[in-house]
Amino acid sequence: MRFEWTDAQAAFRQKVQAFLRENLPADWDEIARHGPGSDTVSRFSRQFCGKLAAAGLLLPHWPKEWGGEGLDPWCQQILAEEMWAAGEPRGAQYMNVNWIGPTLIRFGSDEQRARYVPPIAAGNAIWCQGFSEPDAGSDLAALRTRATLEGDIYRIQGQKIWTSYASAAETCFLLARTSADRKRGISIFLVPMKTPGIDVRSIPSLVGDGDIHEVFFDNVVVPVGARLGEEGQAWDIINFALAGERLGIPRYALAQRALDRAVRLLRSNAMFDNAQIRNLASRAAALCEAARLSSYQCTDHRVRTGTISPETSAVRIATVMAERAVAEFVVEFVPDALCGGDPVLAEHHQRAIVAGIAAGAAEIQMNIVANDLLHLPREPR
Amino acid sequence: MDFSPSPDQVAVLSAIDALAKPFAAVPIQCRDFALYSAELDRALQDGGFLDVAFVPELGAVTGALIVERIAALPCCVEIAASALIRPFLCPKLPRPLCLIEGDRPARFLKHAATALWIDAETVRALPVEMAAVAPVDSLFAYPMAQLTNGRAMFSDAPICKFSAEDLRHRWRVALAAEVAGLLKAAIDCTIDHVSNRQQFGRPLGSFQAVRHRLAEAYVRTGGVRLLALRAADSGNPSDSALAAFHAQDAAATIVYDLHQFSGAMGITLEHPLHLWTYRLKALLSEMGGRAAHVDVASATLGR
Repeated sequence: MRFEWTDAQAAFRQKVQAFLRENLPADWDEIARHGPGSDTVSRFSRQFCGKLAAAGLLLPHWPKEWGGEGLDPWCQQILAEEMWAAGEPRGAQYMNVNWIGPTLIRFGSDEQRARYVPPIAAGNAIWCQGFSEPDAGSDLAALRTRATLEGDIYRIQGQKIWTSYASAAETCFLLARTSADRKRGISIFLVPMKTPGIDVRSIPSLVGDGDIHEVFFDNVVVPVGARLGEEGQAWDIINFALAGERLGIPRYALAQRALDRAVRLLRSNAMFDNAQIRNLASRAAALCEAARLSSYQCTDHRVRTGTISPETSAVRIATVMAERAVAEFVVEFVPDALCGGDPVLAEHHQRAIVAGIAAGAAEIQMNIVANDLLHLPREPR
Repeated sequence: MDFSPSPDQVAVLSAIDALAKPFAAVPIQCRDFALYSAELDRALQDGGFLDVAFVPELGAVTGALIVERIAALPCCVEIAASALIRPFLCPKLPRPLCLIEGDRPARFLKHAATALWIDAETVRALPVEMAAVAPVDSLFAYPMAQLTNGRAMFSDAPICKFSAEDLRHRWRVALAAEVAGLLKAAIDCTIDHVSNRQQFGRPLGSFQAVRHRLAEAYVRTGGVRLLALRAADSGNPSDSALAAFHAQDAAATIVYDLHQFSGAMGITLEHPLHLWTYRLKALLSEMGGRAAHVDVASATLGR
């Protein structure tokens, strides 16, 4: 066991940090405040991700045949940490490199891959995920949006909600029901957002401009070729995709940056001499470190086995604990930073509230840990 | 980063598992708070397991892995200080070791060969046979005892070459590794109980109120373990302080929850849970508790 980076990994991190220093504008922290789904950040991300792609830093962990560098998941982790700690200048496009692209490469048809992967690899594609519905949040399998096969087309009818990035996205990674079976009746469709019958409405939210939407599908027609994988295969594909999503967001990195920044402010006015403040800062720091090391443990598993560790759900819970501890620390001891005082702390605070909600509620992850890692008796249904 | 044990570590751990197997059974009629095993202590020493950290290829991480495994047994022995302090600071002093803070009762004093007495800046070492030792009737699941003439005895004892800060650093790693093993075993014991105990027509462990808190306990314990191993590997005092802080912080919450889930059965001495949780309770205050680590743990924050 070893807890140090190799020289190559350390050099890769330095390369990413140097890129960020050279390519983030002086007012980036103010831009990032708008949120990853905002028009401002979406515009910025298209230009920024193009530069990342040109520097070979957009998809370093992808196979070379798809525009990557063929590097291992550690590089994905390092890249994601640096990006997230910097306020995620890739905007919504972080999803593309973490799971949408890899999912298309693994499960897509030749035509789908040829159409959708190159724009992702060029850093100029924004996707949204059409998962949640008004009556299907944590209970995703309760979704009711329906895709009806009519000859060589599907007709889609239904509603999605809390959809991130929908107003900026060109394409939706949509879950829709193709039969009554609870899980085996769900299929995936790749739907251009300009398709007639799609109506996107922004929902004002706590997490930034333009981040959350309702998306209505009224008699939306897509060809059979828009279906990803087979009918009813969505649950398997989503499990693959979301495992990548959970590992792909190192929220602890921004939480640690926010904590450091808060402590710097407290040190500057001698408030960090207070024992209770140091106590709670230590607790938050320990939880950030625990989340980081737990995440590394899963990456190590992935590098060794090529599979997703069952501990991934535990990492998610550890990350939520870290986010919560830092957010509560900041709001109690550095509150003025959230009243126009500090864009980085404000940005962290805005995003931290979704840590236990986005990509599946933390309580669902606790159920998975209870079932799969603790082997506790299951709840009766 | 490499989270898998090396082939050498795998060999050591599998030997430890074989050695520990006869000691893994919980005695049916356990009527004591503490279950000390001189036999296990001898087996560990004779097998050379307490000296693994002397071997450069194995080092402190292997020592911490062994401490974690042995702490998970229902019986207890002095292993943390021997495996994670002695090799680095006082290899020539005879073990078992006992760490004494001021006038406080100490773990393993009755069985120790050497007592290390720590004050703010210095450490003094004394053969325990020279001291007057009185057992203490304790609520902790370690053999606890006290020096009847502590300060007088140690005022003339030689000052060790290593500093109190050096000792605190190594002690924190040892503490965190031991807590990690105790927490794991206590959680396993509780899972066993809630999986079998039926109420309202179904196992307690099928109720979400129990499942979620056990899941959180599992996640926190995983963090305690990783912070302990990382601190063992890095040798960095900030890492060890953070690991000890996190270990005591996590244990404080988890111990309460595990007893809550084990109900009335868990408060009987016939049930084994206390063999781990009442060791954890002793460790909650070791070195002065969480507050004693905060200055070092937070020293690098915001820098």
